Amino acid sequence: MEASARLFQRDLMGKLSKRFPTGFLGLDPFPGTFGRIRFDPAIALELFREIRDVHAFEHLAMVAGIDWVERREVLYTVWSDVHRGYLLLSAMLPAERPHIETATTVWPSANWHERETWELVDITFDHHPDLRNLLLPTGYQFHPLLRSFKLHEPEELEVKVRHV
Amino acid sequence: MSEMWINMGPQHPMTHGLWNLRVRIDGELVLEVDPEMGYLHRGIEKISEDRHYNEVITLMDRTCYVAGMAWENLFILGAEQALHVEPPERAKWIRTLSEEFQRIGSHVMWYAAFVQDIGLMAPFLYGMRDRDLVLDLFQSYTGARMTYEYNRVGGVRNDLPPGFIDRARKVCDWLLDRFQEYDDLCLGSDIFRKRCDGLGVLKAADCVRAGITGPMLRSAGVKRDVRKDRPYNAYDQVEFDVAVADGADVTARYLVRMEELRQSVRIIRQCLDWLERNPGPAMAENLPRWMGAPYAPVGKEGYLLKRNYPKGVGLSAIEEPHGEALAYVVNEGGEHPYRVKLKSPIFTNLSAAKHYLVGYRVADIPPIMGSVDVCVGEVDR
Amino acid sequence: MTGTSTTVVPKPRPPIEAAAPAGELPMVTQPALPFFEIETLRAEQFIPNAKEALGSMIAEQAQDKLIRPVFNWAGRNSLFPLHWGLACCAIEFAAAFGARWDAERFGVVPRSSPRQCDLLIVNGTVTWKVAHKLITLYEQMPEPKWVIAMGNCATGGGPFRTAYSVVPGVDKLVPVDVYIAGCPPRPEALLDGILLLERLIQERRE
Repeated sequence: MEASARLFQRDLMGKLSKRFPTGFLGLDPFPGTFGRIRFDPAIALELFREIRDVHAFEHLAMVAGIDWVERREVLYTVWSDVHRGYLLLSAMLPAERPHIETATTVWPSANWHERETWELVDITFDHHPDLRNLLLPTGYQFHPLLRSFKLHEPEELEVKVRHV
Repeated sequence: MSEMWINMGPQHPMTHGLWNLRVRIDGELVLEVDPEMGYLHRGIEKISEDRHYNEVITLMDRTCYVAGMAWENLFILGAEQALHVEPPERAKWIRTLSEEFQRIGSHVMWYAAFVQDIGLMAPFLYGMRDRDLVLDLFQSYTGARMTYEYNRVGGVRNDLPPGFIDRARKVCDWLLDRFQEYDDLCLGSDIFRKRCDGLGVLKAADCVRAGITGPMLRSAGVKRDVRKDRPYNAYDQVEFDVAVADGADVTARYLVRMEELRQSVRIIRQCLDWLERNPGPAMAENLPRWMGAPYAPVGKEGYLLKRNYPKGVGLSAIEEPHGEALAYVVNEGGEHPYRVKLKSPIFTNLSAAKHYLVGYRVADIPPIMGSVDVCVGEVDR
Repeated sequence: MTGTSTTVVPKPRPPIEAAAPAGELPMVTQPALPFFEIETLRAEQFIPNAKEALGSMIAEQAQDKLIRPVFNWAGRNSLFPLHWGLACCAIEFAAAFGARWDAERFGVVPRSSPRQCDLLIVNGTVTWKVAHKLITLYEQMPEPKWVIAMGNCATGGGPFRTAYSVVPGVDKLVPVDVYIAGCPPRPEALLDGILLLERLIQERRE
């Protein structure tokens, strides 16, 4: 990693730990990016605003949910045109009713990403404007990307076509 | 009550794939849009967790079926980072070459489908003719026209065949002349200009806010290209310009894609020169057997290495023909990835559909959606 | 549609003017067009005394021996597939109609409306979400109709057969006449499948 990027990383770490004395849990190195910020879901919205407005990460590239069985991780990847690099924001949520504040008010492109994460990994985004099924049929009961969801063999299926 | 909802899709000539654009209209005026996705949701992320790393490549080809090679590159870059493998230099150049050929294939396919949408019939035949030439080149070194399964963790499956470089040069010369022909057919046509100028306008600030990437973003004048900003493979060693336009409308997106085609030919020529001068292995050596390709030399430790293999995470980003694509690969030890998360550029481009469709007429929807270049396979995954 | 608010206000429209009476419109004089006699193909040319044959008690047999081949011959040479791209195979489907393969020389012309089609080419993965729409499209097509399952996904689920959202084979939903293997099949394979279907249609008796 370049020296300037490392400098920016240290600078970001100092500023964020000053701004969020309790919620900011650390900045881990992550190859190819400015690092991965670990944060407490309680400060989610303020952190997003800070990251976008003060540190100029104006493009939300990806929202990913990962099921670690005993807890669930939600991961935001943001890009800055000023610094030319990615930054990861990661929050650990409890496996029992995981929820976090929505990022749509800060980055409007989070809308569909959060809908997808909600239906596949079962992470609820509070105050999301339009939280309904995106990829799966409306009313689908399961969350396929959880580790407890197993793939079936098609021979186990019984198909019934009902003609109306 | 003159307002109503209409469905455009999932079987509609406009959609170019399996999705449904629900539109609320008043007469001809579009008041509200609601894209309904998921008709091609094949659970690729879930199946990937059940597969060997090299078997996931099979799925990546089918994730975006007009840009399979780009998605292979994307996943392999992430997987190599997660597995701590470094490919040899020649493999990186071959991947760069493949990705640029794939960009030509994808953009020419887009040209064929898009121009047919707005009422010109001959360009479809021209586009498919030239795309087949590119696919012939792919076939000569991967064995397949669309679904290649060519990349491997630690390199590429096989080297280029003899005589490939000369053939590729001839195709490049032919294509450059054809691109001029495309422009003559479209930009000189009244039908094209009347149906495309000033449609689907989305200015730079709105594009950035809505998370739009790729040719759509560059058509608004924002110079963001992952190949330049965060070079991967051999993109830091080739010379090319980022194509931008400032019209932010359908014609500007056409111009950006046409310029990207010419830049791709420029990159390909540099890659061919380098590959001609620098022979060498195209696959990393001493890979553990469980990770390596069928043709990889067998590592000394063999299966023993699997138990103590270090864990890792990989984040890769590439400039796919449609925009910025990301892959997040988690390696928790073992043969299968623990989690594969893919981000498609069209996913976000489509989620902002209301910004560039509302306020236009129903007849404007096909050209605007054509200029977005929708490939549903990578949206639904 | 839930949770959205209307922001676009439709503009007031001008009142529609009454159409001018027909007599006041300027008359457009049309030059006399050359008249072509088109040779039409009639059943009588193939079946002598077709009307009598139909009217008689042996019509059943005549239908089988005489009229059926004509219908089959006509249907065989003008297959209209539905213009519907599902997944990867749709790109090869399009390539088959491109410059190099030119499937239209076999009389195969894709149409966008199921009402005009007699052939459903399932070119890609069918998911449970789209299954009932596929059945609807199939039922909207007029009889007689045929189905080609193109590629491994439509045949048996292909690489996605274990996925939670994929129908393992389109024959679970609609009857399939011809299966084409390949992932995706090359355009030659698609043309071969269509020609095989044409042979099947020629031999059809029902």
